[in-house]
Amino acid sequence: MKCSDVEQVLQELLDGEPDSAFEVCSSENTAAMRLAAPDVEAHLKSCPACAELAADLKLISNQAHQLAASEEPPSRVWVRIAAELRAEGLITEPTKIEPVSIRPAFIPALIASRARWSAWWLAPIAAGLIVAGSFVVSHQAALQVARHTPATQATNPATVSSLNPAPASVSIPGPKTAAATSPAGSEPARQELAQKPARATDLAGRAAEDAVEPAPSDEDQQFLSVVSTMAPYTRASYKNELQAVNKDILETQAYVNQNPGDMDARQHLIDAYQQKALLYQIAMDHVQ
Amino acid sequence: MTDPKPGITEREAIEQAQQGNEAAFEVLYNLHKRRVYSLCLRMVSNPVQAEDLAQEAFLQLFRKIATFRGESAFSTWLHRMTVNVVLMQLRKKNLPVVSLEETLETDDQFPRKEFGAKDVKLTGSIDRMQLQRAIDRLPPGYKSVFVLHDIEGFEHNEIAQMVGCSVGNSKSQLHKARLKLRDYLKFMRAEKAKTG
Repeated sequence: MKCSDVEQVLQELLDGEPDSAFEVCSSENTAAMRLAAPDVEAHLKSCPACAELAADLKLISNQAHQLAASEEPPSRVWVRIAAELRAEGLITEPTKIEPVSIRPAFIPALIASRARWSAWWLAPIAAGLIVAGSFVVSHQAALQVARHTPATQATNPATVSSLNPAPASVSIPGPKTAAATSPAGSEPARQELAQKPARATDLAGRAAEDAVEPAPSDEDQQFLSVVSTMAPYTRASYKNELQAVNKDILETQAYVNQNPGDMDARQHLIDAYQQKALLYQIAMDHVQ
Repeated sequence: MTDPKPGITEREAIEQAQQGNEAAFEVLYNLHKRRVYSLCLRMVSNPVQAEDLAQEAFLQLFRKIATFRGESAFSTWLHRMTVNVVLMQLRKKNLPVVSLEETLETDDQFPRKEFGAKDVKLTGSIDRMQLQRAIDRLPPGYKSVFVLHDIEGFEHNEIAQMVGCSVGNSKSQLHKARLKLRDYLKFMRAEKAKTG
């Protein structure tokens, strides 16, 4: 039996197609389809190249299946769908009055004013996230070196989490940075170190550290407190969106740490930060 | 917004959505948004386009939800509608949905097995981003069948019906797609080993 014969029927075997599939396709590949599966399996046991091919194709197929439902659409997709449904009159049930409105009159006013006031901070934070994302990605290698030098290692906590993947040294409110805790001595050192390229071997070893999950940032907690005033399902939707985008940032940041030269991954990281900024913006629009 | 009761089932959400309940629509959207968007993204490899296609798929579904009687699974209905939306978009752009030429392959832009990658093994797990990148590089015809079969789980007879080819063609395209992905992944792994 030749390897070329085996390859022709490999797809059938990998997918566990029933024997009748051989007959259905017989008009298109009569020679290959007449081979019995046991003969093919015997060949695989004796031919390392074909065995490796079969294993590789099976691995690809199995890994591909895990990609199903692996991507989260941005929040704006639902926002647009809901707007269109309303415009087309497909949403007909009247909006239910929020439970808070049946409380004494001054309480809704306080909550509404708190939500509006609290939401104002979202705009500059949203803009800051976009700038921060671009800064982080363009200086990712330098940040890694700066983060792990003796001057910074004792004071820099792990920076990423499922709820707070903000970078360590960007100037937005959030995780403490080395500059905040030892302002005088480390800044010149960090600037100097920023000129040096990161070594892949060092970066590869930091992936596990990057995946450590600290407490949620103050910004995320404030965001969650703002959306807590919304209807339960909307609140849950925002919370899920925040968790999803933070997870995306976490994973992509870890990947970029290991592969600093990967421009696609860096762009993906920027996109993730922009998505988070947009989420903040949408929440702000929602409460105003 | 009228909130469905906690613990609402999909069936109840469908019934409430058929009465125009916005929150019920949102429940259905949240239940299926990842699968729909992922399918769109794999097929067109463009996030902005994938958003538009996912939006259109849900809108088409919600416009017709009054006609849903539960004869088939809601997810199957939505899944097929999503594929139809995507395929229609590909056809509008005159992109080949399935390669009809089974023998003609131009590998100018693709790495050949003979050059440097044949000794690299794919044992262990495959990096998810590398696999995504490799899938994005597949020719449109191969990509469609691979996405529909290996990622989304459609059978060949379903794929043949959706994309307008024979079952044999669908199987052949899938096999070639997997072989090409193997080559890409080995090449990427070899390149990564070189650069350290």
